[in-house]
Amino acid sequence: VTEPVDEPLMGTGSELGALRRWLVELRATVERKADGLSAEQLAARSVPPSDLSVLGLVRHLAQMEHYWFVLTLSRADEPRLYVDDGDWDAQFRDAVADEAVVVEAFATWRAVRARADAVMDHLEPADLEFVWDPDDRRGSVRGALIQVVYEYARHCGHLDLLREAIDGATGE
Amino acid sequence: MSDDELRGEEAVLTDYLGHFRRTFERKCEGLDAEQLARRSVPPSTMSLLGLARHLAAVEYSWWRRVMEHDLDLPKMWGKDEHPDADFDGAIADDAVVAEAWVTWRAEVAYAEEFQASHPMDHLGQHDDGPIEMREVVVHLIEEYARHCGHADLLRECVDGRTGQ
Repeated sequence: VTEPVDEPLMGTGSELGALRRWLVELRATVERKADGLSAEQLAARSVPPSDLSVLGLVRHLAQMEHYWFVLTLSRADEPRLYVDDGDWDAQFRDAVADEAVVVEAFATWRAVRARADAVMDHLEPADLEFVWDPDDRRGSVRGALIQVVYEYARHCGHLDLLREAIDGATGE
Repeated sequence: MSDDELRGEEAVLTDYLGHFRRTFERKCEGLDAEQLARRSVPPSTMSLLGLARHLAAVEYSWWRRVMEHDLDLPKMWGKDEHPDADFDGAIADDAVVAEAWVTWRAEVAYAEEFQASHPMDHLGQHDDGPIEMREVVVHLIEEYARHCGHADLLRECVDGRTGQ
């Protein structure tokens, strides 16, 4: 089910608006690619030898949005989602065919998106130039937003092929 | 992340688009015509060669048709008559492979020159109405990234290679 956009997007004709519109569309794409699948299908490694699954990618996208919007842009003091002790593969490996794991993953992803939206609601176009310095790596709000958009887009490419291999479904 | 990100919208978006164009090219490196044309993730009909032809057509359509206000220009690969011609015509033939890369590189060069000589709010003409160049660049980053996602799995299924 595609979640409604609960408020108007920032004005068209702006860089922030363009990036945010794409993020809204790509999140909806992920929802569509996961729609109607059982826990078993969601957890299936449907394009071997790849170890990617739809469920693993939903967990990874929640982790990725949380990292950029909550940990980086909001500087919240929280552990990184699904990556205990730097175990990067856990977000994919532990995406198992279990109803409770599925429910938790989608609830977490939606909650992270709401927090990310709240961060974006407070951004003004000039904020795109803002520079932070986490871990001694310089970056900009602009760079963070672009990175979120292209991470989503690349993983939507994975989801296209994973889903088609599960049940033949294709489309945007 | 790099200091490049501190140079403003145009430089940053241009860098990211260039990054994904190069990423796609690298995903296809070192493969012969048969491997490039292989539909390695069935039942999908995609192949790396099909993606190269598709991306050439995408560049051509956005820059020569939309941004140049020339929507009457015929689509590439005869896609007006046969919308899937980019993928369907991607056959394991060295001449087809060579043509795809020459065409894609020419369209990328055209795009880079056009973009460098126009402002980000330059208006193109899309079927749905006017569109700013910045929207086209963001769209292309998104489209290349998604196709790089396809290329990730296609390549892994051809020879196991991952990464980039």
